[in-house]
Amino acid sequence: MQAEPSMQELRELVAEFLPNRGHVMPALHKVQDRYGYVPRVAMDVIARQLSTTPALIYGAATFYTDFRLHPRPETEISWCSGPACRLKGGDRIREAIQATLEVPLGGESDDGRYGLHIGQCNGTCTESPQVWVNEKVVGNLTVSKAIRLARDIKGESE
Amino acid sequence: MNARLQSMIDDAKRAWTEQRSSGREQVTVSIDTSSLARGADETLAAIRAQAAAMNLKVDVGITGTWGMNWLEPTVTVRSAAGTRTVLYGNVTADRVPEFLQAVVVEGRDFPELAIGVVEGNATAEVPLLSDHPFMRGQVRRLMANMGTIDPESIDHYLAHDGYAGFGKALDMDAEAIVKHMLDSGLGGRAGGGFPAGRKWDFLSTATADPRYLVCNADEGDPGAWVNRVVMEADPHLVVEGMMIAARAGHAREGYIYIRYEYPLAIARMQKAIDDAYARGLLGKDILGTGWDFDLIVHRGAGAYVCGEETGLINSIDGYRGMPRIKPPFPAQAGLWNKPTNVNNVESYANAPMIMRNGAEWWANVSNEKEKGTKMFTFSGHVNWPGCVEVPFGPTIRQCLEQWAGGMLNGKKCKGFQPGGPLSGVVTANLDLTLTLDPYRGMGMFLGGGGIVFFDESTCILDMCKYFLGFCEDESCGRCTTCHGGTQRAVEIIRRIQQGGGRESDILNLEKLVTSLVWSNCFHGQFAMTSIKTALKAFRSEWDEHIIEKRCRAAVCDGLIDYSVRAQGEGIDEAAEICPTNAFYKEAGGWQIDDGLCIRCGACKELAPSSIEIRDRFARIAAGAAAAGG
Repeated sequence: MQAEPSMQELRELVAEFLPNRGHVMPALHKVQDRYGYVPRVAMDVIARQLSTTPALIYGAATFYTDFRLHPRPETEISWCSGPACRLKGGDRIREAIQATLEVPLGGESDDGRYGLHIGQCNGTCTESPQVWVNEKVVGNLTVSKAIRLARDIKGESE
Repeated sequence: MNARLQSMIDDAKRAWTEQRSSGREQVTVSIDTSSLARGADETLAAIRAQAAAMNLKVDVGITGTWGMNWLEPTVTVRSAAGTRTVLYGNVTADRVPEFLQAVVVEGRDFPELAIGVVEGNATAEVPLLSDHPFMRGQVRRLMANMGTIDPESIDHYLAHDGYAGFGKALDMDAEAIVKHMLDSGLGGRAGGGFPAGRKWDFLSTATADPRYLVCNADEGDPGAWVNRVVMEADPHLVVEGMMIAARAGHAREGYIYIRYEYPLAIARMQKAIDDAYARGLLGKDILGTGWDFDLIVHRGAGAYVCGEETGLINSIDGYRGMPRIKPPFPAQAGLWNKPTNVNNVESYANAPMIMRNGAEWWANVSNEKEKGTKMFTFSGHVNWPGCVEVPFGPTIRQCLEQWAGGMLNGKKCKGFQPGGPLSGVVTANLDLTLTLDPYRGMGMFLGGGGIVFFDESTCILDMCKYFLGFCEDESCGRCTTCHGGTQRAVEIIRRIQQGGGRESDILNLEKLVTSLVWSNCFHGQFAMTSIKTALKAFRSEWDEHIIEKRCRAAVCDGLIDYSVRAQGEGIDEAAEICPTNAFYKEAGGWQIDDGLCIRCGACKELAPSSIEIRDRFARIAAGAAAAGG
């Protein structure tokens, strides 16, 4: 796992933002784009930069599913929760992946090697049912294909 | 028209004509999120590499989507002489060498992958694209450039009369622009149908300054990707639409709020805006007119409720994206408490069409109530998931049977769901039209254009649990009716699915239907719509689940069990795939431990004839009768 970035580094990263509430989300995005997640210390830095309270930044950051407060696992399965996937057995696929990886939706393995995240429909429904593995589509799944995929990721078959 | 703009358009047209008459074959790959999911980036790379390896003189480029998502990756080939253009589908990277050999080296069609002829004559093997059932009956206006121009090129857009609508707006006063919009009859395209012209008029006549524009591109309804198509395939249309709205509403700043899940749309909108700035179409003293307008892309971060306009405004404001009570409406107090106009992507994108060609032309495909064209996306159990633009008000029959290519595997349509999780489910009444009224009559709404069809393998309770679960997850948490009510509804359905249904459950769900309407915003008010409509339209299925403890679709996990019928083909693989090791050997044969089985169905996929899904309660009842008898 990478070390948390230093205050100095973060201050430079968000130096362009002004004491303007409209800059809260852009600042959070900028931090997440760089580190893959929003470290706790970054919220303090952003708050100071924007002349507001850490509580306001924390409140905004925790409202949205896609601001991550922890580093991402090495391999992340994003399970598409959309209706086209659902109609074609998406929920059974989720259960099977959870059982195989032994992590709940939104959870990750103890060693941070793999995790399961909820994904939202982006309209690539031709591939349904699908998941994204580190943002790459793996589509036209069946439950058994999904189990094999999860086993590969877990490293059981190696 | 403004002389600088006119000369920009003229230059772009000249460049476009020059490029088109380069004397080389022009091969363009449609690149958008849908095609990338099917490997279009690999196709594009393969075409570039192969053309270089074979030393071919071809122009390789990209376009937006043709809407035929199920045929991606699609590739358009224009002949060197410029007389023939053919659209191909399913051009995967491995087919590229033989494909380029045929269409470039030999200069002939490649019928195996051909979808249709765009320009030129049909042959015995390749029909006209316009004769394709998917294209017949479509009227493509917003989609007119899609498949033709490079969405990342402002010149391509300008060459197709881009910004000419804005040019007209520059010569008009605000009132005249608003009148144009009112005359067209354009209704809000996000599902409400509120006249866009009236909204613009509110902003135009507001008394406070500064005024703001917001484009709602937080297309969160799962199963809808209309706005993504517009932003990815012709982003300047949205920029121009907002510039016209800014002229009408005296706005100096506009925001395009795009959901996090659309990174390519974010990138293309940002590129379009950057290019518009570089040409002096945005920023200070636009085209030397002394008028200023700034446009900013605001990236969402994954919150469905930010699609509600006040939630969206709070989100840009840097607060948690929680909707607030209306009034005051955004037109009075929106962004930073200033007058703000919120429209969705498709609404803004229509404005350039109306300005360029006039309100009368724009409305000439309309019936009495629904004006202009509307884009729809179809998904679910259909053969052709895709995106169409048609005169507003097509029948479900035409949508399903023609544009969506019919139901998957020829199964019977059980129903459809327009408008996302806050809207309802409708039985397969194919004579219904996709207009606003029929759905209002059912206490739901048409929504932004995403239509999901489902067949008889669908359990209606499971659908409702899905929609309610979504509403529960995405509730902002302010109103108890909403965050508590959705949670309660999910619990009740889950219990019914586990076999614990009570007759009072229906009553309790109906109570929730009537109490959630007291929530502050749309999200809570409409969260129970799927259950409300499903209770009416599919009542017998609820009774079956609750009283008979039976799920006809064999989906609800507490009402079914998996068992080994025969030690036949595939049974060893079935035992091996089981993610919970529920298979055990007894008397030399495989059995399933019901306590470990999670009903994922993987075993049945691998050994369909050896594994059976049984009606759990019928078996228990039969067992009890046998024991009692």
